[in-house]
Amino acid sequence: MSGRADEREAVPPETAAGAEPAPAPGRAPLAVAPGPLRVDDAELAACVSCGLCLPHCPTWRVTGAELLSPRGRIAAMRAVQWGGAELDGTFVRAMDTCVQCRGCEPACPSGVPFGRLMEGTREALAFGAGRGRGAYQPWWRRLGYEVLGRHRLLLAGSTALAVAQRLRLVPERVDRSLPRLSLRRPRLRRSNVTGEPVWLFTGCVMDAWQRDVHVATIAVLEAAGARVRLPGDPGCCGALHAHAGLRAGAERLARRVIAALPGDDPVLVSSAGCGAALKDYGHLLGTPEAERFARRVLDVHEWLAARADRLPPPVRPLAGPVAVQDPCHLRHVQRAHPSVRAVLAPYATLVELDDEGLCCGAGGTYSALQPDLAAGIRARKLEAIGRTGAAVVASANPGCALHLAAAGVDARHPMTLVAEAAGLPG
Amino acid sequence: MAQRYREPVTPPGPSTAAADPLVADLRRALAPDRVRTEDLELALYGRDASGIDAGGRAAVVCLPETTEEVAACVRAARAHGRPFVARGAGTGLAGGAVPVGEPVVIVTTRMTRILEVDPDERVAWVQPGVLNLDLTRHLATWDLHFAPDPSSQQACTIGGNVANNSGGPHCLRDGVTSAHVVALEVVLPDGSVTVLGALDPEPGGYDLRGAFVGSEGCLGIATRVAVRLTPNPPAVRTLLADFASVEDAAATVSAVIAAGIVPAALEMMDARITAAVEDYVGAGYPRDAAAVLLVELDGLPAGVEAHAAEVVRLATAHGARAVRVAADDAERALLWKGRKSAFGAVARILPDYYLHDTVVPRTRLVEVLRRVYQIAERHDLVVVNVFHAGDGNLHPLLLFDRRVPGVMDRVHAAGEEIVAASLEAGGVLSGEHGIGLEKKAYMDRLFGPDDLDAQARLREAFDPDGAANPDKVLPAGARCGDLQRAPEGAWI
Ligand SMILES: Cc1cc2nc3c(=O)[nH]c(=O)nc-3n(C[C@H](O)[C@H](O)[C@H](O)COP(=O)(O)OP(=O)(O)OC[C@H]3O[C@@H](n4cnc5c(N)ncnc54)[C@H](O)[C@@H]3O)c2cc1C
Repeated sequence: MSGRADEREAVPPETAAGAEPAPAPGRAPLAVAPGPLRVDDAELAACVSCGLCLPHCPTWRVTGAELLSPRGRIAAMRAVQWGGAELDGTFVRAMDTCVQCRGCEPACPSGVPFGRLMEGTREALAFGAGRGRGAYQPWWRRLGYEVLGRHRLLLAGSTALAVAQRLRLVPERVDRSLPRLSLRRPRLRRSNVTGEPVWLFTGCVMDAWQRDVHVATIAVLEAAGARVRLPGDPGCCGALHAHAGLRAGAERLARRVIAALPGDDPVLVSSAGCGAALKDYGHLLGTPEAERFARRVLDVHEWLAARADRLPPPVRPLAGPVAVQDPCHLRHVQRAHPSVRAVLAPYATLVELDDEGLCCGAGGTYSALQPDLAAGIRARKLEAIGRTGAAVVASANPGCALHLAAAGVDARHPMTLVAEAAGLPG
Repeated sequence: MAQRYREPVTPPGPSTAAADPLVADLRRALAPDRVRTEDLELALYGRDASGIDAGGRAAVVCLPETTEEVAACVRAARAHGRPFVARGAGTGLAGGAVPVGEPVVIVTTRMTRILEVDPDERVAWVQPGVLNLDLTRHLATWDLHFAPDPSSQQACTIGGNVANNSGGPHCLRDGVTSAHVVALEVVLPDGSVTVLGALDPEPGGYDLRGAFVGSEGCLGIATRVAVRLTPNPPAVRTLLADFASVEDAAATVSAVIAAGIVPAALEMMDARITAAVEDYVGAGYPRDAAAVLLVELDGLPAGVEAHAAEVVRLATAHGARAVRVAADDAERALLWKGRKSAFGAVARILPDYYLHDTVVPRTRLVEVLRRVYQIAERHDLVVVNVFHAGDGNLHPLLLFDRRVPGVMDRVHAAGEEIVAASLEAGGVLSGEHGIGLEKKAYMDRLFGPDDLDAQARLREAFDPDGAANPDKVLPAGARCGDLQRAPEGAWI
């Protein structure tokens, strides 16, 4: 995982795609000496420090600390990149406490690509800027990320974990944040019906822990006229690796995913976090092939919402109201959250949360690595859910659903809800 | 209930601020993790949205949660002979919360409780760290809102609004913050707690509430605020008029007011900022307009319709190329989101801005605007204008990239000329952003020695030792016969 990364050139990643605005008087020449962070200088310069991002940042909401806000984190990056400040423990904490929910991005009128700045900063930390390279991502974490990319190992490990849960061998503290894993996973079958061909991206943890969602998704897609193809072993999408700064690993996994899903058919994803990662492959790999692939990727709800007239009839509409929880990477990154509502509407009375899509604190590995902050962030989400009065929460991201379920919320994937209301197997 | 997150605490060590005996006292008064001493954190509280760097930095940062804790912070600071600075969200544009020297910075961002809402009396008590928009959202249940709506309302705090007597697009008719604050609980600079103003309509004695609102943290720290609540209007119409010249748009502003219509809001944006905003929101702002006016009318449905028709007629008569009426709440919200994002969107043009906040008589708008463009051109700078046109409150933003050598000199020179042009036209220094650090040096252009002396005496009555937000608002020597220390390293 590391070899290639060390070969990476020490230049900042390329500037955002799209035309540079016409040079205006007073604009700096872009040749600024690169600092230790792997971020684009112009992107780092694009924050005017207005603070409009603050209320959209879950860690600022919970702590009130400037250091734990997007504006503060950017100021810290600038201090390091431009001011020669040390990459000390406070800096690392500022970066590590970021959930990477990217709620600050749609809130930023200047369009600062905060997620990219954060990934580039973590990449620099992971590859040894500041302290030794093992210090930021120690071997045991790297090993964990490695397992995500080895699907058979992950499946075997998950089964072992399921057994351990039954034997009460999992420490209570850990078990509390895990779902009850099943001993047996249903087999997935590609469609033998005719219809519009689509790929379903099955992923890593979701396939191991929530395969029932895949079963429901395939049933709904088929009912809506799709012929679903399943990749052999696409494995992990690499999102968690990119978020952790392990870019070389993310690139390797991205190439594997692209190879596992050939052709021109749409690639549908039912996990918002993975979908956001797949859609970013063009930027990650920077090849025309990756860009072409990224354009094929759709969240499963986007595909279904465009075919709303073909959705199966609601034979058993859901009884109570359903609160829609927008996964950050669906709302802030893919900006595809309205499609979940379009798909769910025929089957249930939907109610909205009043927190403007503030993160729930799941954040991939975040809830495990920053349990206290994650719980504080979730507490706000639980209050918002409580205010809706809904007993069921629809969440189109497995990580969010697990994180909420660990606090006693009946959180279910929209595809599971649709399958149930339409009387489909799943 | 989730366990509460606690920030790691730096252990006291010889080289850190944590070794300061003041810090030990503060940590006894507050939970230790709410007293911050790490270098990087202290540095971050050295700035606000103005970008002004006064060369100072926080000696220590406190995040109190209650009035008692604020009082304890102030008393500890005073016991150690240190000044203190109140800070809300740090969206201030005049450097009001920027430390000069090494004060104790007292941040209200954890004081976010809405304590009591009385929908019948239309009053709410809130803690100062409540965000302006959070309050208005909370009040929606009762069909009420907090009228002052700074463009930063999603992020700025009620305490900051009080301290800067902030305005907003909808303050044209409803008045700025001082008209919406009934009473205040404050921690005075000696650490004692008192209430200024009262809920009854005619409280006896001097209006010290009125003195405190707009005092920019120099008279003490507001710890609870009783705000007046305004009913949501039964009908609202939002119009977007598109002009081929800035002059036509400005003339329309005067015509609307002359016709006896006081819109709820009347805002103007020029070409470049309109395009930048449109890039962000995609609300359908015309990218090729020289200027746009955003006009909002509200009240009873019949009156609103009549006024809307009149505004359309006046705009058209003054050369508007088109007037669009927002079809529904979603469209209205998007147009406002655009207007309120304007400052934040400037990095789409250039990464830094320097903003003035002068107010000029509406009749001189056209002339002053023309001079503003000329001044910027002469200094080879980009200027954009987005402002509260209805009350003549200009916001010329000089745009630049601070990494360009020598650019700051041009920015300051141009800024000075813009202020001079506004004052010459009979205007004032600040409409709503406050004086802070940024406009302090200009105070003697507007006020004579007697005026400044009177202001300094008021301040002294509250704060004889000058401990509360020192070196702000009043220029050195404001108090006759008394020379104050000039801030070192301030870039004004
Ligand atoms: C994008 C943008 C748009 C803006 N639009 C507007 C606008 O339309 N109208 C307008 O008026 N302003 C506007 N502002 C300026 C700014 O948002 C307001 O001045 C706001 O009220 C500041 O609130 P804050 O919580 O950020 O205060 P801060 O910036 O933290 O502090 C401002 C001042 O208040 C003092 N202070 C803070 N809290 C207290 C307290 N509890 N007790 C005593 N003193 C205190 C500080 O010492 C400081 O002097 C805008 C700013 C931005 C960045």
